[in-house]
Amino acid sequence: MLKPEKMVKVAVVGAKEKLEMASEILYRLNMLHIETVSEDEHFKPGSPFEKAGQASRALLQLRSYISYLKLDPSKISVKRKFKKTEIEEKLSKKLSEYQEQIGLRLDEIKKINDTLKAIETEMANLEPLKLLEISPKLLKGYKSIRCFVGLIKADPSEELKKVTSDFEIVLKKYEDIYVTAVFVRAEYGDEFLRILQGYGFKELPVPDVEIDARISELEKKKEELSKRKDQLETEIEDLKVKESELLLAIEEYLSSEVEKAELPIKALISKHTFVLVGYVPAKEFEKFKKELDSRGFVVEQLSFEEHEMPPTKLSNPGYIRNFEILAKTYAIPRYKEIDPTFIMAIFFPVFFGLMLGDIGYGLLILLTALYLKRIFKTEGWQKLLNIGIISGITSIIFGFIYGEFFGPFVIPGIEHPQEIHFLGDFLASLYAFNHGHPLFDRVEEFGVKALLFIVLMIGMIKMLWGFSMGFYNVYVEHGLKEAIYEKGCWILGVLGLVCIILGFSYNLGIFTSYPPTGFGKILPENLYVFGSTVTEARAVPLPIPGLVTGWEAGLNYFYLAALPLILIWLVIFLKAEIPKMGIFGTIMAVELLTWFGQIISYARLLAIGLSSVYIAFVINYIGLKIGFEPGIAILPVAIVIMLIGHGVNFLLGILDPGLQSLRLHYVEFFTKFFEGGGREYTPFGRVKKFIEEGGE
Amino acid sequence: MAEALISDEAFIKGCAAIGAGLAVGLAGIGAGAGESGIGAAAVGAIAEDRGFLGLGLLFTVIPETIVIFGLVISFILMFAYG
Repeated sequence: MLKPEKMVKVAVVGAKEKLEMASEILYRLNMLHIETVSEDEHFKPGSPFEKAGQASRALLQLRSYISYLKLDPSKISVKRKFKKTEIEEKLSKKLSEYQEQIGLRLDEIKKINDTLKAIETEMANLEPLKLLEISPKLLKGYKSIRCFVGLIKADPSEELKKVTSDFEIVLKKYEDIYVTAVFVRAEYGDEFLRILQGYGFKELPVPDVEIDARISELEKKKEELSKRKDQLETEIEDLKVKESELLLAIEEYLSSEVEKAELPIKALISKHTFVLVGYVPAKEFEKFKKELDSRGFVVEQLSFEEHEMPPTKLSNPGYIRNFEILAKTYAIPRYKEIDPTFIMAIFFPVFFGLMLGDIGYGLLILLTALYLKRIFKTEGWQKLLNIGIISGITSIIFGFIYGEFFGPFVIPGIEHPQEIHFLGDFLASLYAFNHGHPLFDRVEEFGVKALLFIVLMIGMIKMLWGFSMGFYNVYVEHGLKEAIYEKGCWILGVLGLVCIILGFSYNLGIFTSYPPTGFGKILPENLYVFGSTVTEARAVPLPIPGLVTGWEAGLNYFYLAALPLILIWLVIFLKAEIPKMGIFGTIMAVELLTWFGQIISYARLLAIGLSSVYIAFVINYIGLKIGFEPGIAILPVAIVIMLIGHGVNFLLGILDPGLQSLRLHYVEFFTKFFEGGGREYTPFGRVKKFIEEGGE
Repeated sequence: MAEALISDEAFIKGCAAIGAGLAVGLAGIGAGAGESGIGAAAVGAIAEDRGFLGLGLLFTVIPETIVIFGLVISFILMFAYG
């Protein structure tokens, strides 16, 4: 579970004539991840089987229909699977039928679209001509006179007069330019054209009939064509409903035929034999070998060298598999690396719930995810929504612990729950077993303090855990010395930091203070006190001059333990860095502060949650003040405000905890041990959706 | 005169509160400045390729750590003096 699946490198060898049969078997087995191997004098890559050309041509055509019909195989639930023989039988007949029924119609639609476009352009050209109020008959067909009709940017009369004054011009404003008609004797024509072009003249075509008549003619034609187009589209739509599954099944059949036919490209072929090299999961090797042996092929297990990297096949059980999508976004683990999916599957939902922690929002997430699962059927969406469901459930659990349902019902300083929450009294009575308090009050000062300490503890543990796994990874690949230099010294350094943080927390009284009165006390008292031997609740003050006497007041065992740890870390670190970087390596010790920052970074588990709690509280408070006496008592306004407010807070509540929880894994956790850069295992073959398995 | 108006303790409390506010506020400005560049680049990348959306969002929230530091400092100030 923590490691990608074991792979075996194999070579499949057989007679050249039987390659086609081999491609059938391998495709059906769907196990062999084929590697490209370098050619040599005797072994060269082959060329596709002859059937490839025909099949890929048919496939291209079919896919163009499918993309036009907007068929998405992932969104179609299969009612019945087709037999392979059935498809082979129907194939040529169906292909010509589709050509006739879809292809021809699509061609016609395309033609209609072109004509419609031409009509649009012509109509756009006629519009300015109308403004001239001159009959088209008068605008062309002269022998000794040239007539220019078109659009122009400015009035050219002055310039034209310089050539001859013997001309006629009609100029009308059209939008922000002009439409014009210029008449002049033919011998001045070329000169006039040059001047007009200087003014940005653009000629307009003049129709043979009256403009209004032409426009109505065009409109009629346009209407006819649109009607025909609609008709064609409904016909295609009918076909889509009837034929979509068969269409997709044929597509599936043809693309697997093409893939099979292209296998020789990946193989090395000599005069009489072929060789395929690739990886097979170790679990399935026996089955793979047996299957191919019985058909007269030779399967040989090869040993792989150190530098070779087999493909990575993550193997996680059902629930955890959903989280592969999140881990893969960061990187695909290398074959020898630890696969972090499992750890993520545990911590991601817990972090999410710890941050959001609200029964109401959790329920909303759960219901939304369940609803969306029925709409988005693709594998990626399903996995993502499964994560949503799990996160929703953890949010509900933490919501119960924090006692929040669309906001808190206990806020320090406010006596009556009904004042700050629309279900305040009900919730308070629900928690009657705990003196009307939630199991853990994260808005109380004590709660904030305790939660801050808890999340920092989580941070420290995960930091050390990450470094330990990094230690293991380096140890496996490069040996103990490297592992100590690269990761081991950081474990000591971070342990030192942990001691400093614990010492500081001790001085703040985290270990010794009892929850204040009013904080719910369902647990036995000494459980709230982290150090159970403390009999008297007190916080040792910080060593700030003026507040206590003497600096010794701030010293405790934790600080004393930190000192040697940090010193040992520094010595090992310098020993590792100075040979590599010279004296400059000393400066690199500053990196320890980065790890300190990353531990503190876990405080976001508290901070993100608190901000959403207070937003929810403010929304409820405003809503209740507006909705009821002694406020302005307009209930509908209050409801609208609360709906919008909680809606926005809900969206933030999905986005922020989700992203921050991911980030805590990617940035603060994975960087300690996870390098990634593996290749995904993609076996030759495919899982069939529309075609019956075993029907071949 | 001032000594008569407020006690030392109250003065320290007030300064701590101002400090806490500054810690969160200034850290927020810093994080915002950091995120602006990343956000712009991420939107550009998303315009090229929609699949980058998740990763882009993630990159954008990375500088938010700075605000968390500010918040922790303000918590510590409030716990110690509040």
